[in-house]
Order: sequence, then C-alpha cells, then structure tokens
Amino acid sequence: MQAILGNYLPVLIFGVISLIIACAMLGAALFCAKQKPYAEKNSPYECGFPAFEDARQLFDVRYYLVGILFTIFDLEMVFLFPWALTLSKIGMFGFFSMLAFLVVLTVGFIYEWCKGALEWD
Amino acid sequence: MNWTLAIPEIALSISGLIILLWGAIQKKGNAFFPCAILSIAAFVAVGFLTLTVSNGVGYNGLFINDEFSRYMKILIIIAGFLSIILSIDFNGKNDTNCFEYIALIVFSTVGAMVMVSSNDLMTLYMGLELSSLALYILCAIDRKNVFSAESGVKYFVLGSVASGILLYGISMIYGFSGGMGYSTIHQIIASNHALSAGFAVGLVFVLVGLCFKISAVPFHMWTPDVYQGAPTPVTTFLSTAPKFAAFALFLRLMIGPFGHLSPQWQLLIEVIAILSIIIGSVGAIAQTNIKRMMAYSSISHMGFALVGLAAATPDGVMGTLIYLTTYLFMNVGTFAVIAAMSRKGHVVENINDLAGLGKTDPGIATAMAIFMFSMAGVPPLAGFFGKFLVFKAALGADLYSLTIIGLLASAVGAFFYLRIVKIMFFDKAVEALDQRSLSLSFVTFSMGTLTLVFMLFLSPMIQMGQIAAQSLFH
Amino acid sequence: MMPIILFYIFAVILLLSAVMVVISRNSVHAALFLVLAFCNASGLFLIAGAEFLAILLIAIYAGAVMILFLFIVMTMQTNLVQLKEGMQHYLPVGFCIAIVLVVELIIVAINWHIDPNVAEAARQPLLQNMSNTKALGSLIYTNYIFLFQMAGLVLLVAMIGAIVLTLRKRPTNRRQVVARQHMREPNQTLEMRSVELNKGVDDLGGYLRPKETYYGIAQEDSFGPKPGDKMDITEKRQEREQSK
Repeated sequence: MQAILGNYLPVLIFGVISLIIACAMLGAALFCAKQKPYAEKNSPYECGFPAFEDARQLFDVRYYLVGILFTIFDLEMVFLFPWALTLSKIGMFGFFSMLAFLVVLTVGFIYEWCKGALEWD
Repeated sequence: MNWTLAIPEIALSISGLIILLWGAIQKKGNAFFPCAILSIAAFVAVGFLTLTVSNGVGYNGLFINDEFSRYMKILIIIAGFLSIILSIDFNGKNDTNCFEYIALIVFSTVGAMVMVSSNDLMTLYMGLELSSLALYILCAIDRKNVFSAESGVKYFVLGSVASGILLYGISMIYGFSGGMGYSTIHQIIASNHALSAGFAVGLVFVLVGLCFKISAVPFHMWTPDVYQGAPTPVTTFLSTAPKFAAFALFLRLMIGPFGHLSPQWQLLIEVIAILSIIIGSVGAIAQTNIKRMMAYSSISHMGFALVGLAAATPDGVMGTLIYLTTYLFMNVGTFAVIAAMSRKGHVVENINDLAGLGKTDPGIATAMAIFMFSMAGVPPLAGFFGKFLVFKAALGADLYSLTIIGLLASAVGAFFYLRIVKIMFFDKAVEALDQRSLSLSFVTFSMGTLTLVFMLFLSPMIQMGQIAAQSLFH
Repeated sequence: MMPIILFYIFAVILLLSAVMVVISRNSVHAALFLVLAFCNASGLFLIAGAEFLAILLIAIYAGAVMILFLFIVMTMQTNLVQLKEGMQHYLPVGFCIAIVLVVELIIVAINWHIDPNVAEAARQPLLQNMSNTKALGSLIYTNYIFLFQMAGLVLLVAMIGAIVLTLRKRPTNRRQVVARQHMREPNQTLEMRSVELNKGVDDLGGYLRPKETYYGIAQEDSFGPKPGDKMDITEKRQEREQSK
C-alpha cells in the first residue's frame, strides 16, 4: 500500500505547491494591495445602472441534454480503462464482452444521432 | 459458464435494442404501432423461452433459474404484454405515441426478470435499477401533462432515495457476512445464529428498499400521486411487473439467505402487512379519483400478499404466488376499464364518471363488477382464492391476530369496491363513455373471464405454486 | 505516519466542504464545494489503496456529474425564499427524525465490534503484484460479465430517458442537411451578374433573394420568407422614390 502512495507523491507535491501558489496570489492581493472599498466602488460598474431583474438568465434545457450524454459516454470510457490494461489476460472472452457492451451503447448513439439530439440547430 | 440460463433476458434485451434502432431510423410515419407489434411478438417468444430454459445457477453464481423464478417471470411477461396492448389504443389518443415508450417497457421488463433471477445482491441491485430507471421515464413520458411530470419527479426522487437505502443495506450485509451471493450469506447465517447489530441494520435497510418498490406501508406515500399522474397503461405496468419482481426478491431473500432469521423478521413483516391492509383499505374510501383509489387498493393487496410471507412456510409462499396471479388478472382488467374511460376524447378519471355504466355499456360494467367483487374477495371469483390461501397459511403458522385483523380490514375494503358497483348499476346515468377500441375490449373481457373461471384451473395453479414454493425451500 | 496525517487532512476538509454544501446559500457555491468534497474523497480512496476508484471519482463525479449539476442549477429558477417557505413548518418533524437517527447510530456504534482480523485483511493487497485497476479489469469483463452488460443497458436507458424527456422540435430549427448541401451545384444558388460602370445594385433590380432552387436545398422553415412571398422589388423601389 505504501508503494501505491509513493507513486502518487508527485501528485501530492504538485497539489501542495499549487495550493501554496494560489494562496500566495490571493493573499498578496488581499494583504499587500491598498483596499479602500466604499458603497459606490462596490456597486455594479460598466453600464452604470443596477440590474433591473435577476441577473442570472435561465439556461436552455439543451445544455442539460448535452451534459447527461457526456456523462454517459464518460462512464463508458471509464469502463474501457481496466479493460485496456487487462486485455492480454482476459482473452477473447473479455474482448467480446466489451464489444457487446459497446454495441449496446452504439445502438444508443445511433438512436441519438437519428433523433437529432447531437445537433445544436 | 452456463450462459444459456439467461437466454430469455438476452432475447428480450436484443429485441428492445432492435425496436429502438428500427424506430430511430424510421424517418417518416409513426413507428409506434409496428414497434408495439414487434414487442408483443418478443414477449410471446420470450414467454416460451422462459418455459423451456433449464434450471441452474450461472454466471459465477450471479444468476439463478428455478421453478419459482419461472413462475414469477411468466407473470411479469404477461404484465408487460398486457400493458403494451393497453397502450396501443391509449397512446394513439393521447399524443404520447413515441416508440421509446415500447422500448422502455421492454427494458423495464428485462430488469424485473433479472431481479427475479438474482442470486446475488449485486444482480438484485442492477435489475432493480434497470427496471426503475425505465419506469421513472415512463411515468413522465406524457410531457405536456403536468401531473405526469409530477408523478415522474416524485417517483424518481423517492425511488432513488429508496435504492440508496437499499444499497446501504447491501453494503452492511456485505461488510458483516463477507459475501454478496445468497448462498454465502445463507451459510454465514447458518453457521452463527447470533444476529450482529450491523447485520440487522443491513437487513432492515434492504427490507425498506423492497417495501418501497411494492409500496407497502409505511413506504407507500408515493403510490397515489404516481398512479394518478402516470399515463394509464404505465400505471398498469407499474402496479404489476415491478411489484411482482420486488415480491419475488422479498420471497427469495427472506426464505433463502435470511431464512434462518425468520423469528426475527416475521414480526416485522406481520406489522407491515397489517398496516398496509388497514391503510390501503381506509385510504381508498375517501378517494374520488379512480386511479388514486386503485393505488390504495394495490397497497392493501400488497399487504394481503405479505401475509403469506409472514407465515414463512411453503404454503404461505404458495398462497402469495396465487394471490399475485389473481391480482394480475383483476388489476390489469380494472385498468383496462379505466383506460376506456373517456368522454368526447377527454380522459375522465372520477369515480362518479362511472355512474350509470350498467345502462350505457352493460358489457364493460359487468366486467368491472366482476373485478370489484373479486378484489373484495367474494367467493367464487379469483380474488377469494388468493385471500383464502394466504390466510389459511397464516392460520397454519399460528398467526391468529394477523388473520383476524386482515379479515376485518378486508370487510372494510369490500365497502369501496362495492360502492363502485353501486355507482355503476344504481346511480343515475350520465353521458355514455366514448366507443372503446378493440384492444381494450380484448383485455377487459379476457381478464374478466379469467377472474370468473379461475376456480376451474385452481388445482393446477396450486400445484404449480407448490412446486415453485418448494424450490425456494430446497 | 504520513498516510495517517494525510487521512486526517483529507477527512477534515471533506467534512467541512460537505457541511458547506448544505449550508451555503448560493447553489453554484454549493456545487463547487461539492467538487472540493469529491477531490478530498478521492484522496481518501487513494490512501485506502483504491487507485481506480480515486481516479473514477475525479473523472466521473468532479468532472461529468458536476457539469450536470451546474447545468441543472442554471436551467432551474431556484428561488431561495420559495425553497425555505415550509422550513419552519417542517423543522420540528425533521429535528425529531434527526434525533431518532442519531440515537440509532449511537446504539449501533456502541454495539459495534470490529473483527480483529479486519485490520490484518485490509493490509493484504487484493491480488499480489497487481495494481488495483488490473485487479478490477480481470474480474469485471469475465466473472461479472452479466452485471457489466446490465450496466450497459442501464446507461442506454438513461440515454433514452434524457432524450425522450428533454428533446423537442423547435419552430426555429435551422438545421443543416449536410448531404444536400454537398450535392448542390453552384448555379442552383449563385447567379453571376455584371454591374455596369456608374450603376449600383439598385439599378439591376435591387438585392436579390435566393433563387427558387435554394428552397429545395435548404431545410424546411430554415430560411426567411417562402418562395411564394418573395419581396417585390419594383414595389419597394416605387415606395422609396415616393419617399424621396
């Protein structure tokens, strides 16, 4: 187990360094810069008037469709990793097992395509 | 590896894929009707495959085929078959006629069949998810209808909480027994009789997840809303196939791996059964919408069916199986009548809309009366034998209080069933219902006939039920 | 020693960010705290030796699922005031249930006894000389093929569901029919005209609408007015001259 963790030590170091850098940048801005906020400065800028209504616009539901289709194919991809690693061991049976899985999802893909779910007008 | 064991499931999945592909590449015209015909053919073929497939355990102990699974699978296939027939007419009228509907029913049936054949907690979960996920979508498939969307969302949110609880229970059982396979768990329990706290928590959580699926009290809250909002053919399917599958799991788990713990869970099942019967019967009285009434009615039916499990004997299991069979006939028949309820093209769902049906359409009114009498448990009809067998088994296991409360509650239940008969035959007639289509008449009258003449084939049914129940007890 | 320190760091951040997910008022902030929680959970998985699950948590949860969360937050009108409407009403009931759950948890925790062999078993790798991912791979596709294929079907059903419930035909569809576009010839859509010196486009009859043949190529309803209601150029010109 220690061996596994050892492999990931660079990742940890990377994470810690990036954390330090991020904190340093934010902290420097926070502590070193002169900050004298007042109401006028904190108010919305550029166009000069406050928002008339909720500034957040509703997104189209099509974003959701794209998101969920991405998630599904992401999951499919995750199944491919261990398969690729062990293909030499699991033999033809494992190969065709994955092929059947892919066929099922390809049927879904063809369905998507024909329904026009992949097009953004 | 004996992969042929799952041939019916594989065949049904492949036909689902074919339906999906065929519907997708169809550019012009409506693919719904041909897809429906295709799926009906697939259901018939898979029914025969299920009857012929051999017994045994396969796929590294994940999958089991025995007489019990065969019995339940046939029930599930019949339920899927009948709901497709009901939907042909309904969806033509209601603009939900997308071919995905058919594919989803087929996949949901596959999931239910896998649940029945599960021999491992992981198979249980995958089957349950496949069957539920398709059902969530089916409930909401009538997109323009707010109630349909409501039912889909409610069922989805509560269903995912329930499967989360189930999954948690499974992980507890795995943690405390070290195995997921039913036989492993069975051996572990048999070897040390003391029930550890964690194991009990896991068992209860799994029970909760399954109780949600069969809508037993206190996990029944979703039922009326979901039944009301979902399109009627979907409700038909929802009230039969997944419930049979969950019931099969219930029986298989409780009798098989947890069989040695029966003194511990028996009381729990008794309480759930009594509560379901009472709340189902009392709740139905106040309803004005017939689909909501049927929801409460199904809650009480699930309670009656659980009585057989509470007995924890082969007779009790056999009683439950017969009860579920009669429930299938009565329930699908009643929903066929509900599907026929429309006036001038608008769906009507109030109980009072049935008024005077005895005069305007005596045929369908008689069929409905048969279903209602049968659900109330009036002697020569199918429903009576189901109730009789489960209570006989309960008496055989010395569950006297359960029997008495159950019988009293079924008298209460008789009230609202008979009220419908009264409204149909003795109330003043309102406008006649629209002309119903051939498919609805076919389902209504075939189910009516089956309910009526069930006693003629009672003894072979009991024999089959006994064989199926015995296969659970080894 | 090092793993234990790391464990506590990850666990503390995980719990804190989980609390923040629940209490933060802005749903986008809640989603981002959830990402933090997932990242820390993946660290915990790593410490437990489950490499593949750790990567999976990042790829699936912090990646795909969070995108979905954010999209849903943005497609829904979340009105916090409305959301908290029933709060006071349900608070006592919720509180009672919470107390019951806590008591149950305590009872279970008191009666809990962990098998002494567990600690020993956890130290043993699943399979000797084999990484976590490989160990999974050697089981999923062969021993558990049935569940694997079921997973495929579940994904397929999810796909169907997303499309059935959200995809709809819009009146403003401007879809390309790529095949038809490739098939067209220049003279179907293009007309060469020579403009004389000192004369503008107006004198040739104004800007021209696409030729009739264009409508045979384009997707229905995808381009402006139909061939029937073509703008009459001479009328337009008369109007303009009158206004002068």
